[in-house]
Amino acid sequence: MMLNQHLPKIDSTNFKNINKLLMNFIREEVGRTGVNKIVLGLSGGIDSAVSCYLAAAALGSENVSAVMMPYKTSSSKSLEDAMQVVKDLNINYYIAYITDQIDSYFAQPVYNKSYYNNSSLDFEKKYNENDYELKLRMGNKMARERMSILYDYSYILNSLVLGTSNKSELLLGYGTIYGDMASAINPIGDIYKTQIYQLAKYLGIPDSLIKKAPSADLWQDQSDEEELGFTYKLADEIMFLLIDKMYKPEVVISMGYAPDVIEKIYNKIKKSQFKRRLPLIAKVSQRTINVDFRYLRDWV
Amino acid sequence: MDLIKLSLAQIAPVPGLLTHNAEKHLEYIDRAKQAGSELVIFPELSLTGYFLKDAVYDSAINLNDIIVNNIAADKVKDRNIGNGGYRNTINNKNEIKNKNHEIKDNNCELDLKKSNDRILDGLLDKSGEIAIIAGFVESDEDFNFYNSTCCLSGGNILHIHRKVYLPTYGMFEEMRYFKQGKAFGVFDILGTKASILTCEDAWHLSSSYIAVNKGAKLIIINSASPARGIEEENDKFSSVKMWEELLSVIAFYYKSYVIYVNRVGFEDGIGFSGGSCVFSPNGTKDYCLDYLDEGLLNIELNLDFLKNERFKTPILRDENLDITLKELNGIINR
Repeated sequence: MMLNQHLPKIDSTNFKNINKLLMNFIREEVGRTGVNKIVLGLSGGIDSAVSCYLAAAALGSENVSAVMMPYKTSSSKSLEDAMQVVKDLNINYYIAYITDQIDSYFAQPVYNKSYYNNSSLDFEKKYNENDYELKLRMGNKMARERMSILYDYSYILNSLVLGTSNKSELLLGYGTIYGDMASAINPIGDIYKTQIYQLAKYLGIPDSLIKKAPSADLWQDQSDEEELGFTYKLADEIMFLLIDKMYKPEVVISMGYAPDVIEKIYNKIKKSQFKRRLPLIAKVSQRTINVDFRYLRDWV
Repeated sequence: MDLIKLSLAQIAPVPGLLTHNAEKHLEYIDRAKQAGSELVIFPELSLTGYFLKDAVYDSAINLNDIIVNNIAADKVKDRNIGNGGYRNTINNKNEIKNKNHEIKDNNCELDLKKSNDRILDGLLDKSGEIAIIAGFVESDEDFNFYNSTCCLSGGNILHIHRKVYLPTYGMFEEMRYFKQGKAFGVFDILGTKASILTCEDAWHLSSSYIAVNKGAKLIIINSASPARGIEEENDKFSSVKMWEELLSVIAFYYKSYVIYVNRVGFEDGIGFSGGSCVFSPNGTKDYCLDYLDEGLLNIELNLDFLKNERFKTPILRDENLDITLKELNGIINR
């Protein structure tokens, strides 16, 4: 009986309701703020494409703007795929290259020195040597640079920033806090990566986006699944049992999943909890924001 | 034929915007009236919104302080409301007129905003033409808050149901703010007897058991049920599927009309599923509104059909309350 518990597929039957729920969500939660437009970062990946198709259907193409923000190492295929989405949906788009500001920041020796306590460090060289720590820093910096640009466009275009993080990466903490995880509203944050692909199919998203391997594209040939050490398919099945079904890890082990993978996933979820919450506030007064000052964000 | 005409008003209340919500009620009430309905039913907390959190404090209406408008006041009679623990104190015509006068003298915008007690005025007024069931936050003289539903008729408050079972688990936190109601009352309306169960109340089968054994023929369930859970090859959310199975069971085994009015709209990303519907005493779904969209459903219920079902399958006639009581006493005194 228990063994039959598995992550439900989005299929042609349940798609209709899910699609309607997500479109109503975007329409109502955007409309409530007094604007009727969104802006999102379009990477050429599947997640931002799904968010974009949903938004265009909910608000109309004229109310959706996409910003592409490539770095010099970003795959040219990514920009091509993003442009395909733009053309398919006939939405507004902007291209903002981030190479200059990223390189300029990392070229400043003062930061190099304080971080590594080594004034003779050559960052360009280290980067080429495939230094993982530097790559990670640069990746996070790029994600936050993109966030910063998106929020500027949000102001210019009088549009809300639409989120593009799926449930898998939010749970695993596979995202940059205050970077790609930042948004005003997120239509796909409760949908696992495996389901995002199924949803994409019914939304009519081009095959070239659905078929390529998932990548944050923060450096050349980056692969989500290689970096995580497990496939999304396996992780999503396990997270469905741990989170949605609220089964304890030992129960999931008893259902036949590998203990080391379960442990790895469980730890990733716990260690990234801070990314999913607002900063902690030291309680001093009788009524503290979000502790005992409790209102909806939709509070009016 | 013994027909009852009524309307299900599946609306999306905005949390905390009582005036806006009341205006939407009036719009739906007019449409229901035009369709010839004698009763219009709104969802749970339809006047206030659902996930109010601390805004419960700002959204409450104290029925003891309520100002009944002049048209309604003329019809106000000394009467008790058929719900345990609650007594209507709107019983003195002169007092009401005086209060009304005071408010008029002080008719600045700030005062109106401060007081929620006038929110029901428009509805009470309209209830002279059509009976209205709507949900609101009630506060009592001891400053307790309730998740309440009123039935207004003839310019008067005919019945109040204070939600008994307040879900406080998962995404729900009603017990944090509300006090539990104490009864499942039955009241006379449209020539028959009805009972109001609010959302989670209906999940406890004892509530509908009590209602039908007190004579209810119409089980009116108002709710604010979030859409949640997807299933393969199922065009309904898991939560909707469970609800419809429950409603069918209540209708069939208690041989009653079950009228389910659920809200729609979003509050902080949580979408309410709608799908307001009516189940006949044979357990089948006769009418249904769309999921997730606002809408008004005007329907006719045939009480002759209910009589027929109760004759053919006399489950209620054979119900042995003595055994139930004996067993319940045994459980309580164990």
